[in-house]
Amino acid sequence: MNKEKTAAISAVIYTGISLGIAVAFYLAAGLGRYDAIARFGGAAWVFILSMIITMPVVIPRVKSRQQQGENNN
Amino acid sequence: MDRKNHVILPVEGMTCASCVAHVEKALLGLPGISKARVNLATGKVAVEYDAVKVGIPEMVQAVADIGFTVSTEEYSFKITGMSCAACVNKVEKALRTVPGIAGVVVSLAGEGAKVQIYPGVADKSRIRMAVEGLGFGFEERADARSELDREQEAREAEIRKQRRNMWITWPLSIVAMIGTMREMWILDTFIPEWLGSNYILLLLTTPVIVFGGWQFFVKSWRGLKRGVTDMNLLYATGIGASYLIAVINTVWPDAGFGGPQATFYESAAMLTAFIVLGRYLEALTRGRTSEAIRKLISLQAKTARVIRDGREAEVPVDEVQAGDIISVRPGESIPVDGQVSAGYSAVDESMITGESIPVEKKEGDEVIGGTINKTGSFKFTATKVGKETALAQIIKMVEDAQGSKAPIQKIADVVAGHFILGVHLLGLAVFLFWFFFGYAQWFTPDSTFLLSTTTIGSIGVFGFAMLLSLTVLVISCPCAVGLATPSAIMAGSGKGAENGILFKGAEAIESTAKVNVVVFDKTGTLTKGEPSLTDIVAASGFSGDEILRLAASAENNSEHPLGEAIVRGAEERNLEIIPVSAFNAVPGHGIEAEIEGYRVLLGNRRLMQQQGIDFAAHLENVGELESAGKTVMFMGIDGQFAGLIAVADTLKESSVEAVYRLKQMGIRVGMITGDNIRTAEAIARLAGIDQVLAEVLPEDKANEVVKLQKENNRVAMVGDGINDAPALAQADVGIAVGSGTDVAKETGDVILIKGDLRDVVAALEVGRATMRKVKQNLFWAFGYNSLGIPIAAGLIYPWTGWIVSPQLAALFMALSSFSVTMNTLLLKGFKPTIKKQESGSQTPIEPKTA
Repeated sequence: MNKEKTAAISAVIYTGISLGIAVAFYLAAGLGRYDAIARFGGAAWVFILSMIITMPVVIPRVKSRQQQGENNN
Repeated sequence: MDRKNHVILPVEGMTCASCVAHVEKALLGLPGISKARVNLATGKVAVEYDAVKVGIPEMVQAVADIGFTVSTEEYSFKITGMSCAACVNKVEKALRTVPGIAGVVVSLAGEGAKVQIYPGVADKSRIRMAVEGLGFGFEERADARSELDREQEAREAEIRKQRRNMWITWPLSIVAMIGTMREMWILDTFIPEWLGSNYILLLLTTPVIVFGGWQFFVKSWRGLKRGVTDMNLLYATGIGASYLIAVINTVWPDAGFGGPQATFYESAAMLTAFIVLGRYLEALTRGRTSEAIRKLISLQAKTARVIRDGREAEVPVDEVQAGDIISVRPGESIPVDGQVSAGYSAVDESMITGESIPVEKKEGDEVIGGTINKTGSFKFTATKVGKETALAQIIKMVEDAQGSKAPIQKIADVVAGHFILGVHLLGLAVFLFWFFFGYAQWFTPDSTFLLSTTTIGSIGVFGFAMLLSLTVLVISCPCAVGLATPSAIMAGSGKGAENGILFKGAEAIESTAKVNVVVFDKTGTLTKGEPSLTDIVAASGFSGDEILRLAASAENNSEHPLGEAIVRGAEERNLEIIPVSAFNAVPGHGIEAEIEGYRVLLGNRRLMQQQGIDFAAHLENVGELESAGKTVMFMGIDGQFAGLIAVADTLKESSVEAVYRLKQMGIRVGMITGDNIRTAEAIARLAGIDQVLAEVLPEDKANEVVKLQKENNRVAMVGDGINDAPALAQADVGIAVGSGTDVAKETGDVILIKGDLRDVVAALEVGRATMRKVKQNLFWAFGYNSLGIPIAAGLIYPWTGWIVSPQLAALFMALSSFSVTMNTLLLKGFKPTIKKQESGSQTPIEPKTA
């Protein structure tokens, strides 16, 4: 299995998910009366926590998918 | 693409071509196996298979299903860098994916892994790659001694490292704390203004983060890259976030993160300091729970005085061979196991058997390596050396037990394994709640930190929500959960070994603690296993000594156990044994002999009846003796009834007290035997046992255990490790009473090295004490989290205005690990009641006898 490929695919997925959540937070905060610092800072913190949450979930899944794919080939 | 894989598996139990056919057929019946060839001579099967369709475990199962075993080899590895139960989980998971691994047990407290592999399938390099791939250190364990040295060195290095970190973090953190608190009370009169400057605080805190906290960032990043989360991540997030906010509020005070009044440098610094303190205390105390192994290993002698070619030479103990004659002087340690060939001494065997009184050794007696010769000098022939010695086997068994997992631990591991992810999810939820809802609803500027007078001031919504979120991360660390069970199991199995009780694994300890019924085998377990002379009833005109002297003389050449008991009885009374002038065995009845001109008859009642000897006046004595389970022999001299001689298998000295104490503990005690009900009841009465299962065939003993289990009992069967193997295996806990120094051959979950049945009581006490510790530890570990997390999440804030500061959260976290380890160390002071009694701190009980 190509480890680098797995790492790259995983990174795209977990970063994408985390960015999505952070953007959703930013937009949600924009509906309220929050200043820019709170919106940006909050989005950054949400992004960090989301990365921490999604990395250990996404990486093993991508690994096993890749393994399955290789086995099927 | 060629998918064919090849493997050669060693199969145990094959004896003939039929076995070969069975194994081949079983394997070929699995999908994906194209070839299976057994080599009976080598006991191996070569398999060609498609790894997509079938794996090694399925093959092993197929072989096992038809009654054979695929043998495994066990390797022990040291794994460094694991810091919590999540790491254990990850390593186990990774190792299980390595092909050819039959079983894995990773121990956090023992910093190691025991891996069972199918020889030829898995190799160590793959195991190494799997472990190192996760970012942990990997070392193959060498022999126990050097491993111990390396372990000690590694621990000392960790202690040195954390001590250095302490020297950096604590003084700077305290100064940062003082600087932050300058404006409180009258402190501004003592503390210079510059110390309260945010830039000075930044200068003070940065080295704390860089030197003390860097380790957590590095470790968590290594893990994250591979999709692994552990508690280092919680530390890193907590420290990193609080430091970052403090820096932003210093450099860009108008950025809206709470401003220059909300820098919380002391939070970042004290948080790091407390985490480093926790690490230091953990490194300091973790090794102490494995002291039992250390003690056992230290018993091994380094040299032996071997007599070769008539000369005494001191050689390294590794060079001693079975058959060597070894000389031992007073005060010296006996280097290996053997048999005394000359000399006499008393040997202190307490370190192996738990027996506090030195044991006398004379020619022919066995000596155990690692024990200490006390008084005399003697020579002995080495019988077991190296890994065969009792001490080496005991060390192996204790190590195995310490490395194994109790069922209760598996639950804790599952919880801890998912905990980190759960905590980050909770941290995110807490942040979102306080950001969007809680802050606007309940925040007041005069809010204070719990156990502190510091107010959090005009912190903004983002700062407040983030503060609570990161406090949750810090307070939730499950390191105490990971330590709770293994540390207690290590201490408990060590405590058992100290007292001559070997637990074969953590499960054995847990099961022992739950036992409510103890069933003893009779012969050789409750009793000495050989008949002894118990009673002499002389008829009028004869003396007891006289009839015993003549009976012993008549039986002197007998090999019958009853005859031997009579001869031993006479010898114990110093009676002279006279040669017989004529001897005749009367089949099925007894013997007839001529001694000093007397015609002596000794046998059963039928012999007397046959010879017309009247014993009617003693029928009452006969009835009494027989109802006490004794075998009665009738004696006639010159045609007259001379008396009765009774022999019986007698109770061991320890049996009555063991039964008494078990009953005191609320345990139901039973006895199982193949003997007739009368003999069984007599022995049971003497021992104080109420429940008797008599006339049970050896093969049915296991069924009797099943019956007791069906009544919802947790049954411990105490018996001979070899003869009672099926019943011991069936019981919830099989306790094998050791019959020698070859402990590895004993069946059973618990092995008592010496035959003292009071050790059954001690085993139950050690098991219960250990599981009490496990439960207390889990209570402490989960208790801190259960109590701390809701408070840290701001649950009581709306009513009290209190929030938990990150540094207080770190203190709680450090305390939870510390309290768990300290609680475990209390087990070191535990003494089974019989030991307390021996050391005089408890009055011995007077056992009741029938």
